[in-house]
Amino acid sequence: MTPALEKEAASILSMNSIEVLYDNVMLAIKGVSIQVPRGGMVALLGSNGAGKSTTLKAISGLLKVERGRISRGEISFDGSVITGLPAQQRVEMGICHVIEGRRVFEHLTPDENLEAAAPVSMNRATLKAEKQRIYEYFPRLAERKNSQAGYLSGGEQQMLAIGRALMTQPRLLMLDEPSLGLAPFLVTEIFGIIRRINKEQGLSVLLVEQNALAALEIVSDGYLIENGRVVMHDTAQALKSNSDIQEFYLGGGSATNFHEIKHYSRRKRWLS
Amino acid sequence: MDLILLAELAVNGVLTGLLYSLFAIGLVLIYKASSVPNLSQGGLTMAGAYVVLALAHDMGLPLWVAIPLAAVVMFVFGMGIERVALRRLAGRPVVMILMMTLGIDIFLRGTTLAIWGGTSRSVDLGVSYEPLFVGDILVSRIHLLGAAVAILLFVVFVLFFRTRLGIRLRAIADDYMASWSVGISVERGVGLSWGLASIVAVSAGIIWGEIQGVDQSLSLLLLKGLTVAVLGGLDSIFGAVLAGIILGIIENVGSAYLDPFVGGGSRDLIMAAVLILTVMLRPHGLFGRTDIERV
Repeated sequence: MTPALEKEAASILSMNSIEVLYDNVMLAIKGVSIQVPRGGMVALLGSNGAGKSTTLKAISGLLKVERGRISRGEISFDGSVITGLPAQQRVEMGICHVIEGRRVFEHLTPDENLEAAAPVSMNRATLKAEKQRIYEYFPRLAERKNSQAGYLSGGEQQMLAIGRALMTQPRLLMLDEPSLGLAPFLVTEIFGIIRRINKEQGLSVLLVEQNALAALEIVSDGYLIENGRVVMHDTAQALKSNSDIQEFYLGGGSATNFHEIKHYSRRKRWLS
Repeated sequence: MDLILLAELAVNGVLTGLLYSLFAIGLVLIYKASSVPNLSQGGLTMAGAYVVLALAHDMGLPLWVAIPLAAVVMFVFGMGIERVALRRLAGRPVVMILMMTLGIDIFLRGTTLAIWGGTSRSVDLGVSYEPLFVGDILVSRIHLLGAAVAILLFVVFVLFFRTRLGIRLRAIADDYMASWSVGISVERGVGLSWGLASIVAVSAGIIWGEIQGVDQSLSLLLLKGLTVAVLGGLDSIFGAVLAGIILGIIENVGSAYLDPFVGGGSRDLIMAAVLILTVMLRPHGLFGRTDIERV
């Protein structure tokens, strides 16, 4: 076995040179390859519009809803090719995508949100136990389980969105910008819980974040996407100490004023 | 006007109103599971009545066989509408889906007219037309039966929306994308709601067909049914029942007082006024869910 193949066998998800077209004309990602190791946590970093969300949608199959399609490449999950499968089937296989923007079912209670996401085949006793498990991870949700989900705070809604995804019994959890618009202490709390679930249950996680600093604290390695291409792939440790990453995403640059930063970022671009 | 007459108008208003509710429950079912106001519910109701007639009168089946069979036929037909006409529109703007339901309504009217013609036919449920006196108040037996069916369906569907399947349907109405993301089959859910609404259409079609005969005008029930559903809040079954009762009373009592002055026809005016005022003053109706905006 070549080293590359060995690596692929150890991955729960492997995405090879994926190209995504929207409306048959707009090329959103141009040959992205990503591996998520079994039980590992990987971050997908990059600025707005870089193609991070599109990458997740290609994996979960939600592209189709937005009239996008995979025009090249192959995605395999746990050894089988899933490139053309409908989204529902991918959820059944164990891929769950927490979409951007905390889209909870607003007019349902948190309890009903969890029930809605449970597989149809799950029996009543398991359903109850599973809900209990979610409430143990997110005690705040348990307190408010019978109020309307639309009126929960932003942090609680994000917890509910994650808890709801866990009800589908995933083996790969994909999170799209879970920290968006949340207070830093909540980000720490939520990331801590994700880390805990990852450790306790062996759940593999693919995390899309603009908040690179917080993300690199919990993942083992990360990919940097720019303009629909992977421009860098390294361990979290290496990425944190990389000077370019620090400059662009961690805010640790040497610039002293805004003009200098803009000038710098114009001059220095990853060539694609 | 004496008190007995007023009471009689009110009681019959309640019964007529519940018959509007019977129709409106079909609208609410689809709205609750897909957030689309179904403009073809009138056509479906008329089609339901024609199917019962075709099975009972043309094929000679007894009513107790013809009605359940018609319910099955219409259930499959409703599911078929989703499969053929609506599936490709899932996720598109609601306006497109709304126009599609209008198209379906026109299609159903055209088809029933082509097959069964324009002459009015009667259902004949075997309910006696002998007036029934409750105390001093005169009520119609068929209205009483229809009201009972409406209340029965109300109870059944309120319970249904608390089951796991019902919760999933409500989740679909809230957010298609989020539903897909957790593996809920949006397509099947919407199809089911159309199937159930078509069964409701059969029951409304028989009762209304018995009262006013089965012809093209049956599809015009949509206007009153829509008014009831909007006043009740479009996604509230309880709202549809209560709004039906309120509207029935206003319409019956109001028109009895107003008609002598305007020379008849005030019923439709009252309905129109209620619809317009509801949309202006309380767009989410009495019990409809509101858009949640957190500040």
